[in-house]
Amino acid sequence: MARDWQPDFEQLVDEHQSMVFSLALRMTGDRGLAEEIAQDVFLELDRHLGRIESPLHALHWLRRVAMSRSADALRRRKVRGMDLWVEMEDGYGARVEERCSPIGVRLEQLLATLPEPQRAALILRYQEDLTPEEIAATLEAPLATVKSHLQRGLKLLRAKAASNLKDYIRTATTG
Amino acid sequence: MDDLERDGLGRDGLESDEFERELKQAFERRPAPPSLKRKLMDRRSRQRTERLHLRKVMWERLAACLVLAALVGGGFEWHQREEQRKGEAARQQVFTALRITNHALNQVKAQLAEHDRDRQE
Amino acid sequence: MKNQVIAFVLGVAAWTAPAFAQPSPLLLPPAVEKELAARASDVTEVTLDKNMLGFASKFMNGKDKDDASVRQLIQGLDGIYVRSYEFDKEGQYSMDQIDSLRKTFETAEWSPMVRERERKTGETTDIMVKLVNGEPHGMFILAAEPKELTIVLIMGPIRMDQLGELNGIAGLGGALGPLGGVQHAPHGKDGDNSKAKDKKGGDQ
Repeated sequence: MARDWQPDFEQLVDEHQSMVFSLALRMTGDRGLAEEIAQDVFLELDRHLGRIESPLHALHWLRRVAMSRSADALRRRKVRGMDLWVEMEDGYGARVEERCSPIGVRLEQLLATLPEPQRAALILRYQEDLTPEEIAATLEAPLATVKSHLQRGLKLLRAKAASNLKDYIRTATTG
Repeated sequence: MDDLERDGLGRDGLESDEFERELKQAFERRPAPPSLKRKLMDRRSRQRTERLHLRKVMWERLAACLVLAALVGGGFEWHQREEQRKGEAARQQVFTALRITNHALNQVKAQLAEHDRDRQE
Repeated sequence: MKNQVIAFVLGVAAWTAPAFAQPSPLLLPPAVEKELAARASDVTEVTLDKNMLGFASKFMNGKDKDDASVRQLIQGLDGIYVRSYEFDKEGQYSMDQIDSLRKTFETAEWSPMVRERERKTGETTDIMVKLVNGEPHGMFILAAEPKELTIVLIMGPIRMDQLGELNGIAGLGGALGPLGGVQHAPHGKDGDNSKAKDKKGGDQ
């Protein structure tokens, strides 16, 4: 089939930069790093632009590469022994969106405490609204593994959130 | 009603569907920083310039290699032709030398034959 | 001390003397060659040492009969040196120079095979052969005519039978038979029609 659609780099940037940035931000918890990762992802897209066949292909490609690059960055950080939670607090604390509820902000922060594979699965599920099959394709992981990560991640996040909320309520009522 | 009640969270903290709704809301895409696109386009421009330059250098080197290969090949071919020419010339010289030698020997034989005839007479 | 110096000088002379007596591949001194060439109307100079002969041999087609014959002839030779001059008029070269050249081959190593002297025409012909263990390892031909001078020096093992077959090779041949017909002349006698010939006949 002849390709009618021609990728326009700038248009793709405008369309997907928030998605890529958000994925990187939620994976790494660091705004500066997330911005750097987002730039790298789009520069890689620029090099592979000729192989992008459709807008949907571009979206899938960007998601996959953004997650991959973010995982690489996290791995490099682990090697350097950096404390992600501290970073997370500093990173998130600075720019809280007004439309997010306090619970929402706290959930994002708690997300950073989850193991990386579970975090990745939850981000793709709840930020990108992907099905487990789509998540498996994006992360290039077996479906069963993805489902397991989703289940455990959700359970853990819920437990952490509940524990945090009890503290929050206690603080709110006594404060 | 405090914030928690307004959000619909139960005594145990969170309802299943409600929790997932919270997650979806919490995990909405964040707008990219305004500087992201500008920095990206700048980097892209620099990389393209560098890639063009590298490509130019690569083509120049390739052209130089091709020219060198052609010269070497041509030189080798010339050398082969020269060798052939010299060999042919040397061969001709051998034949010339032997022709002169043969001529000299034939002359001697002719002289001796004449002497023999004269003696017999 | 004086006796030691004399002995040293004599020793050096004795050591170098045989070298002087050996025929030089250059045949004539370069200055003489140059002079002859300048006076000649036609000059042919061929200098082929062992390496050149080997090189030339590679370019001889083994499948061609003549090339194959020549290749076989020159195989193993150490060199072929030819100087051939043709002059428009007589008296263009000095017999002293020719005699001097001939004398360099009058050594124990070289045996005279032919020595022809024609008083009427002034032609002289010398063929000398260098024998090593009874086998020919060099041939020197000096043919001097009033208007033509030919010098040929072939060094190395010579197959006389093959040399005699030169006539059969295209481009080289003449009207006469093989070299075997050339007869041996006594050493030292100047030729006239009545000179005694030692008829050996056959291959020399």
